[in-house]
Amino acid sequence: MFLQQIINGLVIGGVYALFALGFTLIFGIHKIMNLAHGGIFMTGAFIGLYSVQAGLPLWLAFILAMVGAGLVSVIIEVTAFRRLRQSGEVEFSALISSIGANLVLVSIAQILSKTQVLRFPFDTFPVVIFKVWGLRVSALQLAMAVLAILLVAGLSWYLYRTGFGRQVRAVAQNERAALLAGIRPSVIYFQTFMLSGMLAGAAGVLVGLAFNSIHFMMGDPFLLRGFVVVILGGLGSVAGALVASLGFGVLQTLSVAYLSSRLSDIIIFGLLFAVLLLRPHGLFGRDEAGVLRGRR
Amino acid sequence: MTDLVLENVHKNFGGVVASNDVSMRVPAGRITGLIGPNGAGKTTLINLITGMLSLSSGKVLFGGHDISAEPADRVARAGMGRTFQNIRLQKEASVLANVMIGFHRHETCSLIAAILGLPSSRREDALLRQKAMALLGRFGMAGDADSPAGSLAYGHQRKVEMMRALATDPDLILLDEPVAGMNDVEALQLGRIFRELADEGKAILLIEHNMRFVQELCDHVYVLDGGRLIAEGTPRDVVADPAVITAYLGEE
Amino acid sequence: MDTLLSFRPLFDLFLIHLGFAYSQYIVLRAGAFSIGNVGLSAIGAYTAAILTVNYGLPLPVTLLAGALAGLAFGTLLAIPLARLRGVYQAIASLAFVQIVLSANLYAENVTGGAMGFSGIPKLVGTGTLLVFALGTIYVMLAISRSRLGRAFDAVREDEGMAVSLGINAARTQAIAYMISGLLAGLFGSLEALHSYAVEPNQFGFHLIIVILSYVVLGGRRSVWGPLVGVALLIALPEISRPLADARIMIYGLILMVVMNFMPRGIVDTLVARRARRRSRAANPEVRQAEVKG
Repeated sequence: MFLQQIINGLVIGGVYALFALGFTLIFGIHKIMNLAHGGIFMTGAFIGLYSVQAGLPLWLAFILAMVGAGLVSVIIEVTAFRRLRQSGEVEFSALISSIGANLVLVSIAQILSKTQVLRFPFDTFPVVIFKVWGLRVSALQLAMAVLAILLVAGLSWYLYRTGFGRQVRAVAQNERAALLAGIRPSVIYFQTFMLSGMLAGAAGVLVGLAFNSIHFMMGDPFLLRGFVVVILGGLGSVAGALVASLGFGVLQTLSVAYLSSRLSDIIIFGLLFAVLLLRPHGLFGRDEAGVLRGRR
Repeated sequence: MTDLVLENVHKNFGGVVASNDVSMRVPAGRITGLIGPNGAGKTTLINLITGMLSLSSGKVLFGGHDISAEPADRVARAGMGRTFQNIRLQKEASVLANVMIGFHRHETCSLIAAILGLPSSRREDALLRQKAMALLGRFGMAGDADSPAGSLAYGHQRKVEMMRALATDPDLILLDEPVAGMNDVEALQLGRIFRELADEGKAILLIEHNMRFVQELCDHVYVLDGGRLIAEGTPRDVVADPAVITAYLGEE
Repeated sequence: MDTLLSFRPLFDLFLIHLGFAYSQYIVLRAGAFSIGNVGLSAIGAYTAAILTVNYGLPLPVTLLAGALAGLAFGTLLAIPLARLRGVYQAIASLAFVQIVLSANLYAENVTGGAMGFSGIPKLVGTGTLLVFALGTIYVMLAISRSRLGRAFDAVREDEGMAVSLGINAARTQAIAYMISGLLAGLFGSLEALHSYAVEPNQFGFHLIIVILSYVVLGGRRSVWGPLVGVALLIALPEISRPLADARIMIYGLILMVVMNFMPRGIVDTLVARRARRRSRAANPEVRQAEVKG
């Protein structure tokens, strides 16, 4: 039973990771808190759903959702952030601008869905359950885990093994130096926002399938959890976000299973608070700001 | 008389020694120079003195009190003012506002009076405004009182920093490259002000690249290289010191 | 007259949210990125509601208690948050709000849980709200031109610089947290005693975003910034009422457009423009620094 909960938690954690990685990617590289990330995730779920309803096979719907969410993310970069980046007043204004972008996405989804909760058709994903050593693992869970692993591996490969990735990381370390070295910022922004959006879109479809519920507000709770995971992992740290997501998934599943769901929130956010006090830059984060405050 | 005394000040970052057993004396009423090639550890030393970094070992005495472990704001309140090499101003705020913040440690009105806007708070505000204007007059910048500090030329911004440091009414002023970006006439004017301040009994520690300025102004000079003192003495002696020449030439 | 009266609930909302906005403004002004004030408002609201309904205490006492509860928790919050900076501070304070929310749900027998706490007598009307809102604006203006306002500005702009002038940054921010807590608690209490019922989700993520939008959109430095932000964002849904379904979209678009073209917020951008124009008029020669950027 306990092991079963761990497995359930890990699968959910894998999906959190997809969501959180896109979020932390943008922050780590561009120092922008993109609060429209929840909206992009929701957009992915909607595109996936509408594609399936239009009769497309699920795999195609999944790809369309990823690409569509990626494009929406790129559009948000251009409309919500590009001007601000040039003005140099990014921190707060980008926050509010991205809230605005999120509201636009939410509003469109609300109008399209007429404020209804939508569901995938019953047989979208075959209901098959495998039993291994007394543990129950559904085909959907298996697929979610495999996809999460593939996508995270793909992201790592991209960031650490390709020339594009090297450029992206150069920008993350020192944007000005990278620009002087001839890296075109618009190309980098396009890539990071596309990747971030694609991951969010994938997470959207998977969450839509897993909970079989898609609605215009579905991004908000994920945004909240995304914050927790990303901060625990250390903003901008890919490995940190991954570990924190899995841990968070397990913790949440266990605390809901063995305690009440209300206590679960107190525990999770209390833990977040405590971790931040002990490690002010998250579990895997480094103090890159280098704020010179003086000894005390 | 408030002298600053460094006794075997030592600092290492990880394994890198940034400040190696530095002992020096910055007496009141004098202008003391601190020079050295880039990366010699001047800024580290300033940060150790002003409480921005903690010492690995050694002591910083100010007016006879050990301030080695005091936090930066208490060091400042003990009477140490400073300017920054990379000018740090409130760029949006007016020049006047930038100078007025310097009076902070001498403000007396109560918190409640400030929150409720009681007469005592308003009186103090008006008084500080006058005092700040007087400082601006001394530096020939009264006409810029309402300009945003960030809109001024480089040299003028340095002056604003100095006025702000002076507003704290310090016993010791650390000037980190105060005449960088100024022409000779401006530098000369400032030099005269520094001398006046020393004559008033303040201790002045001048960190500077401009050797001519140091030679003209300083009473005593310390030379830092690779975190350790390699020479000290009158400006004339120091410039002739072979170790100093090697340090500077070696840099090029 | 009838049309004027029909705008009264909106005006009341404006006044209450003005208080919330200033409780957010004051911490941002001091350079602390805390959004914990929403949790403090919840604490104030529940304190006032419970004292009124369960203990029958009179209005001045309950308002004072609500404000003091906000002050007390605000002070407590200041201690751990002083260790954090920037977004980490924001997220820790978000965690605080979530903890308050969940604790609220958990302590069902005291707070009414998810159903909320209802049956609160309406003891607060437009007049009372107006008095407190005007008082708040006065205090903000007074702080602004006092030593405290100058210290807030210095710590926000550059903490290292502020400490070099003898300003104790942690203490200065703690004062901001206390004022913020007091305002949050007070206006939370006013909200509770004005609207018959309070429920936990009214003080959640959504309200955080709304309040933050007021302040950032209006301007985080000038005292008039939050006022303009609240006025605009409260009036907007009313003005765009004919657009029905698209109202949220318009709201979102306005946030994007204003931020893109006035990144410092409406009032601060205008103030900066005017200052620049004036200094250029006073000093016609092109300044070196401006060329350098």
